[in-house]
Amino acid sequence: MVSKTQETQLNRLENQVDNGGGGAWEYLCLVRMLKVRRSEKVLKYGLSILNDPKKRSALGPEEWTLYEQVAIAAMDCQCLDVAKDCIKVLQKKFPESKRVGRLNGMLLEAKGSWAEAEKAYSSLLEDNPLDQVIHKRRVSMSKAQGNISGAIELLNKYLEIFMADHEAWRELAEIYASLQMYKQAAFCYEELILSQPTVPLYHLAYADVLYTLGGLENLQTAKKYYASTIDLTGGKNTRALFGICLCTSAIAQVSKGRNKEDKESPELHSLAATALEKDYKQRASDKLGLLTSALRSLKT
Amino acid sequence: MAEDLVLDTAIRDWVLIPLSVVMVLIGILRYFVSKLMRSSQVPDPKIVKEGQVIVRARNLRAAANFIPPKSFLSRRVYFSNEENGLLFVPKGQTQNAQAQMFSDPNMAMDMMKKNLSMIIPQTLTFAWVNFFFSGFVAAKIPFPLTQRFRSMLQNGIDLSTVDVSYVSSRSWYFLNLFGLRGLFSLILGEENATDDTQRMMQMSGFGFDPSKSLGAEKDGLDIVQHEWALPKFEHRAEAVLKKLIR
Repeated sequence: MVSKTQETQLNRLENQVDNGGGGAWEYLCLVRMLKVRRSEKVLKYGLSILNDPKKRSALGPEEWTLYEQVAIAAMDCQCLDVAKDCIKVLQKKFPESKRVGRLNGMLLEAKGSWAEAEKAYSSLLEDNPLDQVIHKRRVSMSKAQGNISGAIELLNKYLEIFMADHEAWRELAEIYASLQMYKQAAFCYEELILSQPTVPLYHLAYADVLYTLGGLENLQTAKKYYASTIDLTGGKNTRALFGICLCTSAIAQVSKGRNKEDKESPELHSLAATALEKDYKQRASDKLGLLTSALRSLKT
Repeated sequence: MAEDLVLDTAIRDWVLIPLSVVMVLIGILRYFVSKLMRSSQVPDPKIVKEGQVIVRARNLRAAANFIPPKSFLSRRVYFSNEENGLLFVPKGQTQNAQAQMFSDPNMAMDMMKKNLSMIIPQTLTFAWVNFFFSGFVAAKIPFPLTQRFRSMLQNGIDLSTVDVSYVSSRSWYFLNLFGLRGLFSLILGEENATDDTQRMMQMSGFGFDPSKSLGAEKDGLDIVQHEWALPKFEHRAEAVLKKLIR
């Protein structure tokens, strides 16, 4: 997760570099550190540095990291010959390197020759069975080939060893949600909430999954998690506000005869509705009519 | 008795400063040598897995109140289950870990290498200090000390009437040994091999680490009482929204 200050700094540098000011190298370093995906810009500015021999020598030993970064960006933009050139340079400099081997595997992946890439990755894994990046590349390869169940299997095996990797849990949760295996997705989101309890995104996603699962208990839990998202984001998250309204009406429908409502629910619902209306009035006043009619239909 | 000894400034020029300079240089040399000698250590999958299990269990303990009670309970059973729980280590295995660590040739070699690179320069420098710089008062410590420190700080000086604040160069050597660590982390960056004291602390706690911390996590997990924090959040969300609407 990128913090707000880092995001503003990144945008500022991006603007500066786009408009012709200097600072390309700092931009590239920041992108690399934050692991953001800005492949086109990285490719453009990275190549401009690398093709200029004066600037290249000014980098010193960082030159090779830049080659690696540009190679990956080129593969992302499908400029495979640029990537191949960069990898060739790196291979000349570091002939027996595992990192270069990994880049070679990624190039094969980008070209679409899945079997060869799989062979390259397995041989790298034999040397070092605990390389996290290669495991993740295999998972993304299965996903790219459309073999989602294979991706799930590989990801589960990866998570058996590396259980503390929350990025992997997040990927698994999204895969399960896309396959509508909501119970498993809920489990993954719980893991995410456990490792990072103050990130509202996970609360929101968990609440969505619970709401989709349905059933009175899940709906009540979902409402609680929407409430926690509102708390964590200071009431600004529109989706959570909608979630509260939907949950309340769904609970009312499910428990029609039984008056098991808890004490706070009516207030929360009306508060959420009012907050939504206020927000829409500010930001999208033409849609306010739609909103009010939708909310009214929910109440009935 | 309580007179002030006047120490020759030549002592400062020819003893204190060269000694510090030599120690800094030896530290830098040791850093580079250890970098050369360091073999890339292939991490053992079991140890990595145990480390990750511990992190996950710790997260569970820390944020237990954020997930619904049923999920917490099922996870707790998963971790501390008697037969195949992740944290459960049968009694026989605990001893094994330590014995295995010492008999494992790779790890023993590694530890020996690290120890050597630490011990040899220290011993040599200490001998050199003793040989060349003994028998005279090197410095005066600015605060008064009790008599018990006399044997430690005044090795070369055989007069028992000299105030304990006047120390020999051996104590200057020890002062530098522990004090230059900060300087090294400035010059050499974070990971330098001169963290002797840290290394010594690590060595004593090495062998037991995996299995003991697993047991500790298991106990900690058993103790945790789950108190679901989410209902509170509904109230808080209301308060937030009320403030927002106003």
